[in-house]
Amino acid sequence: MGFFSGLAAEKYDRQYSDKRLLKRILDYFKTQSKRLFIVGITIVLISVIEAAMPIVVSRGLDKVTQQIISSSLILTLTGIVLGLGIFSWLANFLRRRYSARTIADLIRQLATDAFQASVHQDMSFHDSFSSGKIVSRITSDTREFGQLITLSTDVLMQTITSIILSVVLIRTEWRMALAVFLLVPLLFFLVMQYRHAAREITRDGMRAMANVNATIKETVSGIAIAKNFRQEEAIYEEFQEANQTSFKVNIKRGFILSIVFPTLRAIAGIATALLVYFGAISILEGFVTAGAWYLFLTTVDRFLHPVMSVSSFFTQVQTGLSAAERIFALIDSEHSVEQKGAVYPKNLDGQIDMISVEFSYTPDEKVLNNFSLHIDPGETLALVGHTGAGKTSIGRLIARFYEFQGGKILIDNEDIRNYDLISLRRQMGIVPQVPFLFSGTIEENIHYGCPICDQDEILKIANQIGEGEWLETLPNGLDTEVGERGSQLSMGQKQLVALMRVLIQKPSIFILDEATASIDPFTEKQIQTALDLILSETTSILIAHRLSTVRSSDRILVMRQGEIIEEGNHEQLTAQGEHYAELYNTYFRHQSLEYVEEAKKYVKK
Amino acid sequence: MTSQTSEGISEFSFETKYTTNQKTPLLWILSHTIHQWPYILMALFGAMSNATLASIVPIFIGRAYNEITSINPSLAIIGQFALVIGISQALRGVLQFCRNFGFEIIAQQIERYVRQELYVNLLGKSMTFHNLQSVGELMARATNDVREVNYMFSPGFNLVIGSLNFLLIPLIVGPTYHIALIATPAAFIILYSLTLWHYLNILNPITSQVRESFGNLNSRLAEAIDGIEVVKGNAQEDSEIERFRENAIEYRDASIKQGDVESRFLPLLLLGITMAAGLGHALILLQQGFINVGDVIAYFGTLSLLGFPTFVSLFAYSQISLGFAGARRILELMNTENKLDQNIEGFAQPILGAIEFNDVVFGYNSDEPILKNINISIEPGQTVAIVGQTGSGKTSLVKLINRTFDVQKGEVLVDGVDVRDWYLESLRNQISIIEQDVFLFSRSIADNIAFGKQDATRKEVIQAAKEAQAHEFILSFENGYDTVIGERGVTLSGGQRQRLALARAFLTSPKILVLDDSTSAIDSETEDHIQQAIFRAAEGRTTLIITHRLSQIRWANLIVVMRQGEIVAVGSHEELMQVSKSYQKIFSE
Repeated sequence: MGFFSGLAAEKYDRQYSDKRLLKRILDYFKTQSKRLFIVGITIVLISVIEAAMPIVVSRGLDKVTQQIISSSLILTLTGIVLGLGIFSWLANFLRRRYSARTIADLIRQLATDAFQASVHQDMSFHDSFSSGKIVSRITSDTREFGQLITLSTDVLMQTITSIILSVVLIRTEWRMALAVFLLVPLLFFLVMQYRHAAREITRDGMRAMANVNATIKETVSGIAIAKNFRQEEAIYEEFQEANQTSFKVNIKRGFILSIVFPTLRAIAGIATALLVYFGAISILEGFVTAGAWYLFLTTVDRFLHPVMSVSSFFTQVQTGLSAAERIFALIDSEHSVEQKGAVYPKNLDGQIDMISVEFSYTPDEKVLNNFSLHIDPGETLALVGHTGAGKTSIGRLIARFYEFQGGKILIDNEDIRNYDLISLRRQMGIVPQVPFLFSGTIEENIHYGCPICDQDEILKIANQIGEGEWLETLPNGLDTEVGERGSQLSMGQKQLVALMRVLIQKPSIFILDEATASIDPFTEKQIQTALDLILSETTSILIAHRLSTVRSSDRILVMRQGEIIEEGNHEQLTAQGEHYAELYNTYFRHQSLEYVEEAKKYVKK
Repeated sequence: MTSQTSEGISEFSFETKYTTNQKTPLLWILSHTIHQWPYILMALFGAMSNATLASIVPIFIGRAYNEITSINPSLAIIGQFALVIGISQALRGVLQFCRNFGFEIIAQQIERYVRQELYVNLLGKSMTFHNLQSVGELMARATNDVREVNYMFSPGFNLVIGSLNFLLIPLIVGPTYHIALIATPAAFIILYSLTLWHYLNILNPITSQVRESFGNLNSRLAEAIDGIEVVKGNAQEDSEIERFRENAIEYRDASIKQGDVESRFLPLLLLGITMAAGLGHALILLQQGFINVGDVIAYFGTLSLLGFPTFVSLFAYSQISLGFAGARRILELMNTENKLDQNIEGFAQPILGAIEFNDVVFGYNSDEPILKNINISIEPGQTVAIVGQTGSGKTSLVKLINRTFDVQKGEVLVDGVDVRDWYLESLRNQISIIEQDVFLFSRSIADNIAFGKQDATRKEVIQAAKEAQAHEFILSFENGYDTVIGERGVTLSGGQRQRLALARAFLTSPKILVLDDSTSAIDSETEDHIQQAIFRAAEGRTTLIITHRLSQIRWANLIVVMRQGEIVAVGSHEELMQVSKSYQKIFSE
């Protein structure tokens, strides 16, 4: 609705020049040129018809007053008005139809291109753009841009109609015409004032409502605990306060918004009254006919509409263009991970070499400095160290999620940049710290790791873990729906599904960031079984948080600030009694059975 | 208002302004609306007079035209007409404001009282209800649906009632010039209603389809971007893009369908034909000398008032139907029944802490039992560790003790008395359950700890925090105990939240403590704190701990191993190490 739109618009700093933005927009419009042409024609048609209607009626009235009314006159007049009405509807029908298709296709194109671009971006891109932002650009920004097109056509139509009418009015009686035109800036000024006030109160209102909503959310979520502690009355007081505030804020806003149209109506009405009187004077002095006078009176309203639309037009255009820019910024952003060649690996041995690698996420924070590492095929390597030591970076570089700045990384003695990325990643199994599941069944999620595998293979692998006991804990076994992001499963179950995805994929290289969440001891053992199955077949890099992992790894790397400070297996490093021993005592010891036995000291009964 | 259930008993009641009829959405809305009667009068008056005064303009323009084209036109009379127009429109502005603001007040008042009614109702519902109901759904009712009811009145009813008046005016004004002139507006109203009803019937399923396909598109999109690491890691970029492409096409097709239906909006065509027909009819009567030119003008002008309802109809009617849908959902929620009774006459004594489960069977509905053959005997002061995989029924088991749920078969005894024979308040006052997801309010730490005992002194709060091993980390914050937590304050780790919950429990000193322990510590120092806090909390009271922690399991007096709703092993650590192979496995390295 013209006046009320865009009151809550946020600020966005435009980076693209207008020229560049328009060029990008035109690129997309070019694909719709035929439809846009038709829409353009219908717009002009509708504007002309809208202007013609009052003109025809006023001329007709003149004829009717001055002559004897013949049946043919009635027929003609009625016929023309009928014809105009039908054509107007037809033209609108066409306009809507073609606009709908144009906009829908435009949005589809933009959204698909934006999504494609996002998916192909590397992880550093996804680190700086929250997923919420990306989704919002793909869905709401594209929609906003579509609305801009609709708005523009509406404003265009109304403006053309007004211009045609203005010309006719001036040619009829220029003094009266001027009087009518004076109305426009006055109304415009008033509308802009209202918009200013409305925007202020909308912003304040939104802030207040955000607080209120947060309180309502909390008081509703907290009902269960309030009942637990018999504190219903206290929480009710809090709720009441928020409810009252919401009421007051909304009433204030409602008051301001209720004033707008009535005020404009009143002004238009008074203007009409003045026109009636002074127009009558013009008629009596012979300047205009009665029909022309009638024309003036009926067009006052027509000038009102464009004023309303145009007042919000400028803000709307800015919002629309900002939306367009955000989408193009997404599509046009550069990739930092570029592959040079296209080697398609068949079966990797899994030998990894990092030679003098330099890496930082952001220019000022160096993570890896002259870092070198050799991993034998089939080796299980555990990485330990305090936060920020650089453990995760190693896995990420090998997975080619990020671009490194110096040195080389070789896989099976081939430069990692020479591989075809998709094929390379198919040979890698990657499990992040918080396993991610798609909504769907467990089977579908496991299937993701091997799209060509069938259900029997999945079942076979599932049964390799403790005779499939873990399946019994699920309501529908493999067909259990996991919910959004796997919300219906426990952390342990999610881990198992993620590991099973890897098992079925049969990769040569396995990269795991171990979960730190608490998992029940039975599921823990099952996860261990799954992990052992994977480790026996792959070169593995594990960011270790579990005691069993460091114990069973072939080699442990102790890292600090991007460097390896100790190396060896669990027994060797424990005997050395230095950095590793310290880390062990801080992060792993409380997982040991030794610690469990010592807990007796806390038991006083 | 009190929260009424079918048995007339609830867990909490609170007095508010007026009672409502909760039988059907319509009656319910009406019973709220009646209390706004002064504003309704104001709004209705505004609406009717608005339309009436709107018709003054064409009518008096018609009269002025007659005067101007008469033989001896009097400027004075025309001036009078102009004055009438001017004053009436100014007045109309005021009355239109009354209409708008009147409906706005009604809408906001009703939103306020409906939300209040819903909230009191929710507070009165049992713990059973709140354990089964998702908070997200409650939130949707309390915010979105209540808002829809608001919009139903303003702009919904505002525009509909306003526009209905505009439909009536030509019907009334026409005959004042000539009785036959009632024909065209009457025909319009009939055809308009028919075509509008038909239009909405076709449009509604299509808008649902558009909403659905958009929802589909959006949710899979969000998932793909959230899980982009997994997508890339599994080299599935192309299949995700293909999936998006298909969803986008589906959404586009649905949008175009909607656009096509909207483009055919017939009432608009009807309006054009009506204007022509009315004009023609009036001209014929003019030719036959029944009316004069001014009358034709006035009549034609009032016909154009029909434009307002035509444009408004789309939006306003759907708003009203959305409002009723929201009202229905809210009412459904409020009418969900409370099954547990308070048993005010029941047993009420200080609890010693003996708990017994005898042949207990439990499930949310009768065909799918979650727990079967549960037999446990717990002595006062014992620490019981409950272990098992997800879905083994651990949480449901403990919720039977404080009657969050009732058993279907068998019995649960506390101190030898069936929990159903206890006075509910007395039972619950002495049992404390600490959930997995600890809920803390956006208030100070001290306020949160004292939540169960509002008159606790700061000394008592600090003492409780010390026992819960929380004192140290609380002091590490700048404002100590006055630190505000939550969205507007600091965020706490899982272990810290757990210890605050324990402190909260220490203050209320329950005789039976149930702890759903699912936090994990990254480093041993934190682990030490958590262990100490839990062991301390278990002293001197019967404690049931649902836990993964081997230390808690190892040193508990009684260990209950559950699997698929049944107890597969129960006993001390030494006993279970002998008897159960899967238990042995847990303690192997």
